[in-house]
Amino acid sequence: MVNFIDFLNWLLPVFYIVTFSIYSYDFMTGKKELANSKRLFLFITLLFHALYLIVRTIYFGHPPITNVFEIFTVLAFAISFSYFILELVTDIRGTGPFIIIISILFQIISSIEIEHIVTVKDVLKSNLLGIHVFSALVGYSGITISAVYGFLYLMLYKEIKLNQFGLIFNRLPNLEILERLSFSSAVIGFVLLTCAIVIGIIWLPRAFPNFSYADPKLIGTSIVWILYGIGITSKLLGKWRGKKVVIFSIIGFVIAILSTMLSNFLSVSFHSFY
Amino acid sequence: MNLLAVSINHRTAPVELREALYLGNEDIKSLISSAKEKLLVEGVVLCTCNRTEVYGFPFDKNIGHNDLQNFVIEKKSSFNINPEHFQSFLSREAVKHLFSVITGIDSLLIGDNQVFKQVKDSFQLSEEMSFAGFLMKRIFDFALTAGKRALTETEISEGAVTVSYAAVQLIEKIFSSLNKKSALVIGAGETGELAAKHLQDRGISHLTITNRTIEKAEKLAQSLNSKIIPFTNFKEHLHEFDIVISATSSPDLILTKSDIKSAIKKRNYASLVLMDIAVPRDIDPDSKNIDYVFYHDIDSLNIIVEQNLTKRRTEIPKVEKIIDEEVDNLFNWYNSLQAAPTIKNLRDHFENIRLEEIEKNKNKFSSEDQEKLEIVTKRIINKILHQPTIELRKSAEAGENTIESAARIGILRQLFGIDNNRQDEEKK
Repeated sequence: MVNFIDFLNWLLPVFYIVTFSIYSYDFMTGKKELANSKRLFLFITLLFHALYLIVRTIYFGHPPITNVFEIFTVLAFAISFSYFILELVTDIRGTGPFIIIISILFQIISSIEIEHIVTVKDVLKSNLLGIHVFSALVGYSGITISAVYGFLYLMLYKEIKLNQFGLIFNRLPNLEILERLSFSSAVIGFVLLTCAIVIGIIWLPRAFPNFSYADPKLIGTSIVWILYGIGITSKLLGKWRGKKVVIFSIIGFVIAILSTMLSNFLSVSFHSFY
Repeated sequence: MNLLAVSINHRTAPVELREALYLGNEDIKSLISSAKEKLLVEGVVLCTCNRTEVYGFPFDKNIGHNDLQNFVIEKKSSFNINPEHFQSFLSREAVKHLFSVITGIDSLLIGDNQVFKQVKDSFQLSEEMSFAGFLMKRIFDFALTAGKRALTETEISEGAVTVSYAAVQLIEKIFSSLNKKSALVIGAGETGELAAKHLQDRGISHLTITNRTIEKAEKLAQSLNSKIIPFTNFKEHLHEFDIVISATSSPDLILTKSDIKSAIKKRNYASLVLMDIAVPRDIDPDSKNIDYVFYHDIDSLNIIVEQNLTKRRTEIPKVEKIIDEEVDNLFNWYNSLQAAPTIKNLRDHFENIRLEEIEKNKNKFSSEDQEKLEIVTKRIINKILHQPTIELRKSAEAGENTIESAARIGILRQLFGIDNNRQDEEKK
């Protein structure tokens, strides 16, 4: 079983890279013949990834959310899965490479660094932890996708303003759609992050005797949450729009990544498990 | 195939001569009536803004391209048109030319898809006037197939290739749908009208026209069922529009950067698209530096037009391949319209039916009767086919591939489904 888990662990980056290559080829050439097969490839990749996560959970007796590299593989899955659903619902197919590449990065790091942990701290076996981590992860994939669409919005905005009608202009959906996709993903991310924070505030003080509100991850997530809150409220009130909102989303994403990295790798707190 | 075609088009004649030879529906009808009397058994007259063409099968072999050209020239004798202004095509080349026209690769604007409808309309007119017969119908069936295939299997008609359409394409890269947007068109001239029509075709929600001469604005607004605002105070309403297309002949700027700044502020920085398709320009080009203002002039729109034209040019070989395939299909069908092979095909077809039925029913007869059955059925088939065979032989002796014999053979093949059966057998 371990061999099978290892095999899947190394197979997943290959699958993601192949899927990314097909999406990129389709983006570069604009040929319609790969329009459906690229989606099928993404589906197969997600199927194998889901199998990997299930087999891992059954064999090690806990869901793969107990350390940062387990979380990375779940994050890679969540990002591509969210994109897959988004592509199915909206039928906007030209943005795949920009999202899937994020999954590749997370999966490669996870595949290299992940270890087989059979015994985990009792505190990590709580059901509340499962919901806390799940909502945080899907929330983070939401803001990741929001930032990618925000970045694409800025690229297209710049191309149109500068009269550069290249690949970005020809292949991407229009600015309004990119803004809408970025905003909707940010709202989903924000709602789920709110859930994660609320559950965390209820559960963490009970679970960890050394709990502190000065925990770097808690502070980082709170800053990200406040930033998204300001951005979403301003957009809903009609005060901000377009470029300003997407820049805010990108800043929020960068702070979220930095805070995760800093709190996981540099500081030692009750919130670090690796 | 003795199909003649003469064409006067953008490659062979200057615009004034093409204009002179432009034929309206009534002109075409009169031309067809004369052609039917003097020159052609069947044919089609095609006229678009860049070409006038006549296709047809002559009454006899002595009628050639020169007669057809002179016939067209006579119709417009007051203009200095001479045979050098024509291209002439015969048989396969004539068919190939027609297919190039309908697929848009022979158009001045490569991939122009309006020509497809124009060819279809011309053919319908010929049909109404009983000028398009059996052969012409088949040729146009194949032409329509080639045209449809070029549209669906290649990108020959993709992308905007006119400035006003490029403006709309660019607007659609900024807004997801025009059915909730409002647009102002400044200038009711030809360019403004075209841009307004494109916007309306794409479903713009509110269209408003303004023009220095209010009567012209009113006329255009009436034809497009849109609103007008007076030119004197349109700037006060500028912020109400998501899209502004300016196409006036004003020598000075109509909208300054400060006009735009004030409008975008009033719009609370909701995106504003400015398309300046006037020469000289109507809107201060410095407006492009204002956030959320998308300013584009004729030069930037020409970049899109050129890119799309280049893309269309790269599609030409694919369209030519389709044309070759469809020309081959047409000639395969045409070559089957000969008497000798048709007699054989017809006899084989009936013999197959006879054998099939005997096979199905032979158990119902005793072995002695089976022999009689064979003889009787053969005799019936021979009697049925006797008269058609004699008629087909007569056709062959009279000289094959006259229009009448080809039509007769074609109908016969169609009636008995000989081509369908052969295709089925080939597939098997």
